[in-house]
Amino acid sequence: MPTVTVNGEDKQASQPQRNLLSYLRYDLGLTGTKYGCGEGLCGACTVMVDDQPIKSCMSTVGSVAGGSITTIEGLAMAGGLHPVQRAFVEESAMQCGYCIPGFIMAAVGLLSRQTSPSQDVIREALSGNVCRCGAYVRIQRAVERAARETTE
Amino acid sequence: MTSEGLTIIGSIAPGFPVSESGYGARAYGNTQPGLPSARWLLVRPDGNVTAFAGKVEYGQNIRTGFAVEVADELRVPLEQVGVVLGDTESTPWDMGTFGSQSTARVGLQLRKAAATAREALLELAAGRLDVFTQDLVVSDGRIASKADPNRSVSYGELIAGEMLEREINDEVPLTQIGDFQAMGSSVLRMDAEARVTGRAIYAQDVLLPGMLFARILRPPAFGQQLADADTSVAEQMPGVMAVAKEGDLIAVLAEDDESGDRALATIEATWTGERAGTHLDIPQLLMDTKRDPISVQAAGDVEEGLRAAEHVLEGTYYVPHVAHIPLEPRAAVAQWEGDRLTVWAGTQRPFGLRSELATHFRVPEENVRVIAPEIGGAFGTKSWYPAGLEAARLARFAGRPVRVAYSRQEDTTEGTFRPAALIEIKSGFRSDGRITAWEFKAYHTGPFPFIAQRGSETPYDIDNVAVTVYSASSLVRVGSYRSLGGAVNHFARESHIDEIASVLALDPVEFRLRNLSHPRFRRVLETAADAFDWQAGPAPSRRGAGVAIGADVGSFVGTCLELRVEGREVKVQRVITALDSGLTVNPEGAKNQVEGSTIMGLGTALYEAVEVRNGVVVNASLTRYQLPRINNTPLIEVLLVGDPETPSTGAGEPGIVTVAPAIANGVFDATGQRLRELPLQRHLVR
Repeated sequence: MPTVTVNGEDKQASQPQRNLLSYLRYDLGLTGTKYGCGEGLCGACTVMVDDQPIKSCMSTVGSVAGGSITTIEGLAMAGGLHPVQRAFVEESAMQCGYCIPGFIMAAVGLLSRQTSPSQDVIREALSGNVCRCGAYVRIQRAVERAARETTE
Repeated sequence: MTSEGLTIIGSIAPGFPVSESGYGARAYGNTQPGLPSARWLLVRPDGNVTAFAGKVEYGQNIRTGFAVEVADELRVPLEQVGVVLGDTESTPWDMGTFGSQSTARVGLQLRKAAATAREALLELAAGRLDVFTQDLVVSDGRIASKADPNRSVSYGELIAGEMLEREINDEVPLTQIGDFQAMGSSVLRMDAEARVTGRAIYAQDVLLPGMLFARILRPPAFGQQLADADTSVAEQMPGVMAVAKEGDLIAVLAEDDESGDRALATIEATWTGERAGTHLDIPQLLMDTKRDPISVQAAGDVEEGLRAAEHVLEGTYYVPHVAHIPLEPRAAVAQWEGDRLTVWAGTQRPFGLRSELATHFRVPEENVRVIAPEIGGAFGTKSWYPAGLEAARLARFAGRPVRVAYSRQEDTTEGTFRPAALIEIKSGFRSDGRITAWEFKAYHTGPFPFIAQRGSETPYDIDNVAVTVYSASSLVRVGSYRSLGGAVNHFARESHIDEIASVLALDPVEFRLRNLSHPRFRRVLETAADAFDWQAGPAPSRRGAGVAIGADVGSFVGTCLELRVEGREVKVQRVITALDSGLTVNPEGAKNQVEGSTIMGLGTALYEAVEVRNGVVVNASLTRYQLPRINNTPLIEVLLVGDPETPSTGAGEPGIVTVAPAIANGVFDATGQRLRELPLQRHLVR
């Protein structure tokens, strides 16, 4: 039986073929990770697996066995919001908010690889995520702010 | 529903501006509300305040907007205001959240409710402190004597242990602009933290104990009917509780989502009816089936105006169907308790859905509760919400709570599309730049003239005008989209205006101003052109600059933008839009809406189009339907030029109407190619 760590807790997953997004949402009740397209093209289902952002709708539990998964629910730290979450609040980088957990996870992944990404690098790294409300200008500003505030 | 504290009740009328024959009634057959009056506000003994509104939140940020208005009128800190939205059990009846009515009407009603509460609390304080009301001052939820600030009492102390009720005073003095604290300044949205932590609950996230996951059998093409379905394999699949066969509704009910998906795939169904129609037929379909003309604007005599002209120009414009693709596909969860039904649904019309459900199940409306949680995008299409009734029918069948959650592709094909439209314009004008005649005929697919009508009027000073809109048959289900037909009609009109300017070798901004006396139109155009640093001259200048003006839901917009054309790709680089929506309650909120409208308009201008082959939408999923992404987002600057003394009008929709024509005009300026059909990238010749 595969074991995964989700937000720091060890979990047994009885079905290795279980879709990872479905597992997180419906078996563990972690509904902050969203279903948007089921094809890996909107990024609403992005989670971190061992510090790499992945599209959970395109994965199975078995494929991440032994890995450490962080979802949006596990991002906030004891001291409060993660700097990327805080930056999204401060820049009002959202409208309906449905895509935002996915954008935040993708941004966290980017900033863990690169502390001061250029505007173009941010745009490229987030181009796998869709915000249909079109809050892109603000999302860009939020990621720039988060990068600034974490390097300061 | 009287509670401890001070309850403010009032008419529900502001929520439905035109009840019997207006927009909502014609669009969706809304019933009249059962009760003429409802609770709008509750001041609680602990000093906290709750506002109630039947509107729903799908990203417009009305929750914060309403809270700001209430906080300012009641003179309480924003943190003490809560807002309950879209719950048929606790909020005032509402026709639906569309047409940019939330701030304009419900926001104003909440301001009056809060001001009424403030006046009532002042009266109570006058008695308690033995001071005349005019000698009292209110701030931070406390009322104090002006002469002796130590003589004071808090709202909570005034109403503790009481159950007071007051009716909204329509004439109550509202707070003056100079005294606004939060209103008109940019406050952070109150629901932001829930959204960034994953705590915000959408219909897709409602999971009840014992709930079944439903997957519904759908026809492969529009208009096909089920002849027969063999569900025997599905019924035996692991994880399947049952296959419901309720007339036309066939659904797998499973213990988890994937068991439902797998079982659905095994159902062998036969369908009757032709798989007919492709999107290429739509322009001809429009011409063949156009009907029910409505004269929207008529003045003078167009024939006379054409005779008085030195030039006559004709143009035909075409806009295909586009899909809304809200990122959250429709979902609903239904639960029966005896003959009482609760449905969670991300609908724009919770009260309309309640009526539908009560009618279908023949139960009184009081037995049905519809709760609209957070909604993951709507843009008009979530007024159509069949998932609610589907979930309720299946839950009754199963005797357990049932969740119906659409897949992306299902949400697109079972949803609605923006009508396609063909628009014919004939204009007459003189060499001095005066337009003498304007004939505008718009044929929009579908039976909704209110969609076709929107934004079809010309704002220019023309003596001889005939604007007529028509309904027509449609291959696909159509419905409301941001600005209804506004963005479509504006594309045709503002493109044609540029064509006239080009014939006359006049600068497109200058040409518009010569024919435009309305001060609010002039202001948005001049503001946008100044901020853009518009270089006057006739197009094509090869710079790729485009301009358009427009109006929607009582607001005015002017847009200037610049773009580059690289091969068959149009790269929009910078967009400046000036918006006049009167008094702006939350400037950041309004700007965010205009930015979003710009992005949405950009997709429809450049690449979005619904493709139909043999009655099937072939690009219903994201593999084939391109959406704007962050890496093709231009710089966007929004200038708010509304006069605070002018009542608030909508900000969620107007920003889209100028985008497609400004881009088409920019493409002409860059290349000399006049493209009269959207999406532009499909028609650009390199």
